[in-house]
Amino acid sequence: MAENIESTDEEIIEKVRTSNQDLYALIIDRYQKKLIRYVNNLIKDENKAIDVVQESFIKAYINLNSFNIEKKFSSWIYRIVHNQAINLAKKYQKETPLLENWDFESDDDIEKDFEEKEIIEKVERCLKNIPLLYSEPLSLYYIDEKSYEEISDILRIPMGTVATRINRAKKIMKNICQKN
Amino acid sequence: MSKELKNITENVMNQIHQGKAKMKPKIYFILGSILTLIGLISSVVVSTFLVGLIRFSLRTHGPMGQYRFDQMISNFPWWTTILAILGLIIGIWLIRQYDFSYKKNPWIIIIGFILAIIIGGYIIDMTGLNDTMFQYGPMRGMMGNYMQNGQGWKK
Repeated sequence: MAENIESTDEEIIEKVRTSNQDLYALIIDRYQKKLIRYVNNLIKDENKAIDVVQESFIKAYINLNSFNIEKKFSSWIYRIVHNQAINLAKKYQKETPLLENWDFESDDDIEKDFEEKEIIEKVERCLKNIPLLYSEPLSLYYIDEKSYEEISDILRIPMGTVATRINRAKKIMKNICQKN
Repeated sequence: MSKELKNITENVMNQIHQGKAKMKPKIYFILGSILTLIGLISSVVVSTFLVGLIRFSLRTHGPMGQYRFDQMISNFPWWTTILAILGLIIGIWLIRQYDFSYKKNPWIIIIGFILAIIIGGYIIDMTGLNDTMFQYGPMRGMMGNYMQNGQGWKK
């Protein structure tokens, strides 16, 4: 498995599909942290976010043969997670828990990333006050560092709409964060 | 959290190893794409012909007074309109399943699809293809019944 650490997602997926299903664990390790944070921004519930990500990885595995290897796997898995999260959010629409004590344990040096984490946490705090329509593209752009094209693929909206929503989100966020 | 993260990998991989999560074969998705395409083409063909039929029915009766208009309304095959609208809706929904569709403005796709069907229906009506189909084709019996109750074939 070690020799595949440098491989791209798409190369690993091809191997999972054709010869070595165990390599799927590598894909899960690469994405689970980012995806849990992404889902938590959407549904504001840590435990449910973990469940959504787990279900999404299973769903992705079942439908792995529908993935077009010439496209980006990250957009594909984010799309699946997005759908799962939105379905769950609709199911529990009345519940509006708050985002609190969101922290990941990591082997990385915490001090080294402190400043970056502080910014991300501040952004996440502001994001929870913005309507989902705007907060989702904004978090994908700034926190998950996705391009407009990738966000378009994940949310299935035209790139122009992505740009418009991000611009509006920035304005809303500026107002909200400056007040706080 | 890290324990839970490990659990995700373990849980998913366990399900795969135990055969609870099985990858669907490629043929499943190929067939799905083919069926979607057939559905899309069918809905376009049905909608186009029905738009042609609606135009044909209106033209058969021609400009008229209230009496003839009432007759036309009572004899008009309204189910074709419902079927045409249904075909349009299904067609648009099927188009939205394709990857390229969300990159375009949805209104452009919807309006484009409707325009294509109306123009297609107009062309079919103008070329007389629907007349041939209704008089000699499989719809002869159905249209014969409608025309007997109504105003007859185009004069």
